[in-house]
Amino acid sequence: MARDPMDLLQGTLDVLILRTLAWGPRHGYAVSRWIHDRTGGALAVQDAPLYKALHRLEHDGCVDAEWGVSDNNRRARYYRLTARGRQRLKVEESAWRRYAAAVFQVLEPA
Amino acid sequence: MKRRLFRLPRRTAGDIRADVDAEVRFHLEERAEALMAQGVPPDRARAQALEEFGDVDDARRYIEGLDRRTEAAERRRNYLSDLWQDIGYGVRQLRRAPAFAAVAILTLGLGIGANTAIFSLVNGVLLRPLAFPEPDRLFALYSTNHSAGRIEGGVSPLDVDDWRAEQRSFTDLGGYFYLDGLSGLDFTGAGEPQRLTTVFVTPGFFEALAFSPAAGRLPREDEMVRGGRDRVVVLTDRFWRHQFGASPAVLGTTLTLNGAPYEVLGVLPRDLRFPTEGADVYVPYSTIPDQSIPRIRPVRILRVVARVRPGVTAEAAQAEMTTIARRLAAQYPENAAWDDATVRPLRDTITGPVRRPLLVLLGAVGFVLLIACVNVAGLQLARATVRGREIAVRAALGAGRGRIVRQLLTESLVLAGAGCLVGLALAKGTVALLLRISTGQLPRASEVGLDARVLGFAAAASLITGIVFGLIPALPASATDVQGALKQGGRGTVAGRGTRLRSGLVVVEVALAMLLVAGAGLMTRSFVALLEVDPGFVPDRLVAVQFSISTVRHPPPGYANYYQEVIERVRMLPGVISAGAAKDAPFRGVGELIGFTLPGLVVPAGQDAPLAAMLNISDGYFRTIGARMLDGREFTPLDRADAPPVAVVNEAFARRWFPGQRAVGTQLTLDGSTAFEVVGVVNDIRQRAIAEPAQPTIYLDNLQNSRVKTTLVARTRGEPLAMANAMREVIWSLDREQTITTIFTFDDSMRLALGRPRLLTVLLGAFGVFGVLLGALGLYGVLAYLVSQRQREIWLLLALGAAPAAVLGLFVRYGLRLALVGMAIGLAGALAVSRFVGAVLYGVKPTDPATLAAVAAMLLAVAALATWLPARRAAAVQPLEALRAE
Repeated sequence: MARDPMDLLQGTLDVLILRTLAWGPRHGYAVSRWIHDRTGGALAVQDAPLYKALHRLEHDGCVDAEWGVSDNNRRARYYRLTARGRQRLKVEESAWRRYAAAVFQVLEPA
Repeated sequence: MKRRLFRLPRRTAGDIRADVDAEVRFHLEERAEALMAQGVPPDRARAQALEEFGDVDDARRYIEGLDRRTEAAERRRNYLSDLWQDIGYGVRQLRRAPAFAAVAILTLGLGIGANTAIFSLVNGVLLRPLAFPEPDRLFALYSTNHSAGRIEGGVSPLDVDDWRAEQRSFTDLGGYFYLDGLSGLDFTGAGEPQRLTTVFVTPGFFEALAFSPAAGRLPREDEMVRGGRDRVVVLTDRFWRHQFGASPAVLGTTLTLNGAPYEVLGVLPRDLRFPTEGADVYVPYSTIPDQSIPRIRPVRILRVVARVRPGVTAEAAQAEMTTIARRLAAQYPENAAWDDATVRPLRDTITGPVRRPLLVLLGAVGFVLLIACVNVAGLQLARATVRGREIAVRAALGAGRGRIVRQLLTESLVLAGAGCLVGLALAKGTVALLLRISTGQLPRASEVGLDARVLGFAAAASLITGIVFGLIPALPASATDVQGALKQGGRGTVAGRGTRLRSGLVVVEVALAMLLVAGAGLMTRSFVALLEVDPGFVPDRLVAVQFSISTVRHPPPGYANYYQEVIERVRMLPGVISAGAAKDAPFRGVGELIGFTLPGLVVPAGQDAPLAAMLNISDGYFRTIGARMLDGREFTPLDRADAPPVAVVNEAFARRWFPGQRAVGTQLTLDGSTAFEVVGVVNDIRQRAIAEPAQPTIYLDNLQNSRVKTTLVARTRGEPLAMANAMREVIWSLDREQTITTIFTFDDSMRLALGRPRLLTVLLGAFGVFGVLLGALGLYGVLAYLVSQRQREIWLLLALGAAPAAVLGLFVRYGLRLALVGMAIGLAGALAVSRFVGAVLYGVKPTDPATLAAVAAMLLAVAALATWLPARRAAAVQPLEALRAE
């Protein structure tokens, strides 16, 4: 198996996906674009780990998937946040904020 | 978590692969198109989309695996939530029909409870392994004399030694001597003198059973043989607690037993109850002096227990023992006729006599559960008809047939579960009751209880019950024709099929009820026959005090004086009408076997003399117990040791050996030496068991042929047990150290002797009544249902001028036809199992036509009533009124 970058990114990727879906149901491609656009491409997120993360979140019951129709009339798999996913987002988001704040405190000159 | 209203159909592995492909393709195409829209050439766009995606195949594999797991988890969740939904639905349905639920749960509870109670007896007595390590390797060994028909004979101590030395099949074997009420030792020097119930054991006994002592140690080989330091004693846990408060300090001290000091070596584990639950101490057999029990081969008084080596079969062990016994028979003339040995699993020898009765009970109670099952199935079926519309609606809304069956099944299992709880509660009480009324009837009674296996049995019985009575009505109900049911305004179309099914159920119920009442009827007849047995004595107001005379304190000839003096003084007690003594009271021992010869009777060379039972009694014994002399006289105080030896024989003996002649006046030669003149013939006295006719028996006067075991019997004017104290005082006034083995009344003995048949009769009777009630209920139910279904036809018939009696007859005939078919089947079943049941009956054949006819007539009468009641209601209605109401 190829080297898996997900181990590095896993926690980050999950919280990004959940955050994205918090705005409403969307398909994998849309999630991918949204993250890319929001970060201005700063985070080099590959799509394979993204889909893996989506399906893992589905397995964990954080998101629900259903086939729907995309804007240009194609069958697409839509993901939607579940109550559990929303809860998980809340927890991880605050953890990330605290983590980031801590890192910033170290990096900011006193 | 969100619950979908309509679930997506489940995805197969192929579906999942297709979905993942479609998702990835969608992504790549979208990305490529977006790039192309930015002016990237198509080839480059597709390549860049792929590159941005990363390892497509790896992702696909990973996602497919994950999705399959997600799908499986989802399926499990759905199944559980469906199950909960079904259970909730079932409970609500039952709550909506409380009468039905109550009847069904109670019926099942009774059925399951009765089964669980009986099974817990079977479990404790027959199924639970004996409380020894690897109990299946334990066997009982017997000396066998085929020519005398003695298969499971005792073994002499000398033979035990030889067997032990020669055999290779067993890791060890040992003999033990224990007779209820006889094998005992006098324990003195610690408060009141006590008679200790003693098991005398040979070397190898403890090793064969292979257990470790709870405290101290077991005797070594050299402490269990003549010439060794064999004055040692091992205490049972019970005696240790009772007498010494479980103090370890008693180890190493000495107890005074029969006037001699015995060192306390150890204490047995609490669950060692072999061969009796009542033992106090275990002592080496070698301590029994020769003048008490001679150590010679013809004295075959030991039982033997042996443990086979791993891998040795019972057949191989049997073959070796036969070889050894044959060799000993060739070597020792005393063993000539005892030229075989018998090897039996130890468990069989412990539970043998109760095995059949318990299995009969288990079978009967199983039928009760079947009837309960069929009955609840009938009730469910009736409800299914009513619920036809509800089920049709559910089917119309898209519930599959499987789903409906599952739902009905779940409902049945809810019922069965509730029934199981009721049953367990009932069983707990019933087991306690059963144990109380079966005191002394059951070996291993202390091992009976509700253990894991019994609980498992109850759960399994409930589960199977639930499936059986759930499936029967569920199948036709689920096949309901949806449109028809809805069109008919709630009248389900299962009616036709349902009626046939219900009639079939009723036939089954009546058949089972017939089987049960046949069993109950036969058992009752058998019990009555037992009650009518003339035991040969009159048990009213007879009290007995049993003791063993010490030959140390009363060596002959003083022995005879002491014996006679006790009897004479008891006779003088106010309140005593008459008194006498015997070695064994009826049902408390069978005396001994003795070889005899008669004048004119030629014993062919090489054959043993014929054997008869022999019992030592005192003068006045027959008069006291109410036996009648048919000829001649009974013993008198003049038949002393120095007088000519005399004997009395019973009627069975006279009939067997003196057919058409007078026995009185002839000479009996006993044991090939002393001649005894027959002076009287007494009526047959049942000695071994109430159900066993008396054996040919020779009675000897205890003054001329003495035995130490003495059962002093007195007939009293008033309450018999009240005299026991006075009798004991008389004994103690003559010998302060005399221990008393036991005190009982003859009425107690009769009660005990009748206890097991009474228990069987009561239980089978209860099962029979239960079966008949349920059968009648089923019959009533189907008729009432039929009447309600045909109500309009009936009204029309009546309105058109049909005689009510004719309409009534129509229904009664239908009901009785069902009953008769059921009874015929039940009767056939009863005849089929008659051979098995016959073994527990006394005085009545299992095919007894009178009994079977009587119970059939009774059942038919009940069936007639059960059909007549609903039919009458149908015919009694005023047709015009009814039509108007409709």
